[in-house]
Amino acid sequence: MSWRRSSAILRHEFRVMLSDPSTAIFVIVMPVLMVALMKELFADVLVSEGFSGANGSEFAVPGMAVSFAAFSVGYAGFSFFRDHGWATWDRLRASPATSADLMVGKVLPTVCLTTLQLGVLFLLGGPLFGLHITGSVAALAVLIVVLALSLSAFGILVTALARTMNQLNAIGSVGGMAMAMMGGSFVPVASMPGWAQALAPAMPTYWAMRGFRTVILEDGGLGDVVLPVVVMAGFGALFTALAAMKFRVEDSKVYWG
Amino acid sequence: MLHVQGLRKAYGEVAALSGVDLEVAPGEIVAMLGPNGAGKTTLVSIVAGLRRADAGSVEVDGLDALARTADVRARIGFAPQDTGVYPVVSVRRNLKLFGELAGLDRRTLRIRIEEVADALDMTDLLDRMTGSLSGGQKRRLHTALALLHRPRLLLLDEATTGADVETRNRILDLVRRMAAEGSAVLYSTHYLAEVETLGSRVAVLDHGRIIAGGLVSDLVASYAVPVVELVFTGEVPASLVRDGATVEGSRLRLPSREPARTLLEVLPQIDPAALSSMEIVHPSLEAVYLALTGRRYDEADRAGSKEAADVVAP
Repeated sequence: MSWRRSSAILRHEFRVMLSDPSTAIFVIVMPVLMVALMKELFADVLVSEGFSGANGSEFAVPGMAVSFAAFSVGYAGFSFFRDHGWATWDRLRASPATSADLMVGKVLPTVCLTTLQLGVLFLLGGPLFGLHITGSVAALAVLIVVLALSLSAFGILVTALARTMNQLNAIGSVGGMAMAMMGGSFVPVASMPGWAQALAPAMPTYWAMRGFRTVILEDGGLGDVVLPVVVMAGFGALFTALAAMKFRVEDSKVYWG
Repeated sequence: MLHVQGLRKAYGEVAALSGVDLEVAPGEIVAMLGPNGAGKTTLVSIVAGLRRADAGSVEVDGLDALARTADVRARIGFAPQDTGVYPVVSVRRNLKLFGELAGLDRRTLRIRIEEVADALDMTDLLDRMTGSLSGGQKRRLHTALALLHRPRLLLLDEATTGADVETRNRILDLVRRMAAEGSAVLYSTHYLAEVETLGSRVAVLDHGRIIAGGLVSDLVASYAVPVVELVFTGEVPASLVRDGATVEGSRLRLPSREPARTLLEVLPQIDPAALSSMEIVHPSLEAVYLALTGRRYDEADRAGSKEAADVVAP
């Protein structure tokens, strides 16, 4: 792998992304609006769990951040389908860039976008919604980055499975939403039915929410989020391995239809 | 520079390449001519490392192209059949991306961008958004991306398809210049006139086989006999069919070294009301193709388009 070639692709992907920033703005702005609408709903739940000073943002901010990050996993695959649509994919493949160069160059911008999306919501959480983080900001940052990597890996797996852009959108959106809901980022796990509570740990979003809760409400530090971080990294590794088994650079993708 | 031997490729039951042998030396242009569906794109794609061959070998600059694709890609420039450019960034950004991927340093890249833009009359377009260019301008950029880094082997697949006359001339001039500077060029096309303009060596591909190869002038001298072609409104009169003649539906073809004399001989035997059209096909690549396959090139092209559309390539 050549970092020079990956970085050329990466910079190019950022330029393409910035040529139409509407999606990036949407996935950053929408969760802010959703937190404003929903935070009051969670205040009583948190108070009943013993967090007397909670105003609801302690759940709503990470919950909406994780939900929208999961919901936009398909974005990782969009750049691949777009290249097929513009007939540039074969050009890239015929260039000296290796498959690894292409992957790194195309996936890293999505990781950065997801990290930005999550980070912005946590940054705005304090001034806009009165979010008070009791624990370590470093631990929060690690959770954000590992979650972004894990979800991007899931996005690549969806890309590998999808043959058309419609399939990517459908599998990405539905899969991402299911992952967010089942992981307890829409409603707290404790409020979910028993069977859903049993399934929740099978979702990386569950571990993200568990880590965020530890840091935000329970004064957690880096040592306290090791388990969520390791499990999310494990999910990321599993998604990456499955994507590597399924993804073939020579497979044709249909940009639309 | 390029050695292809015994190359075979099939899509399901349909054989796209049936044992192709081909050589292109440094500084040489080989025009690969064939109707749609002849196997040109499959051959170029295999050389570029985009498709796997079922059998055979491909060597580029002494390297096994089927095994060492990464090393080979550093030596080739490839312009696929479909125009492939990024519409949402500028022309310069498109060129920069592929120049950087080819390993050009910043200074060299800047110089090459200016050179190639000048050669293809794109200097004023460099800072334009690619999506706002005309089809011909996009085609020029598409070709420029392949030769920006001066590859040792240049693969152009139908480079001038859909291009206007000026774009076509610019591209052909640049192809000649690249060859003069030492690049080997494999130029796939289905335009007969273009091959005659290039004056290059030609490899005629038909149904996945190279059926003839050599300089255009040699091929014409070897294969092409002028042909008198008569098309009737109904059946071809049996009295006109003689040795060497071919009949295809209502079309009669009479090869002749003296076509005007042959035409004068047969005309009195024909009822004018039964004759739809007549033509003398003079020695040219068209006549070579006719002599080799028994089919007019444009007929084969139309048939090939239909066959190609029927084959769903993976």
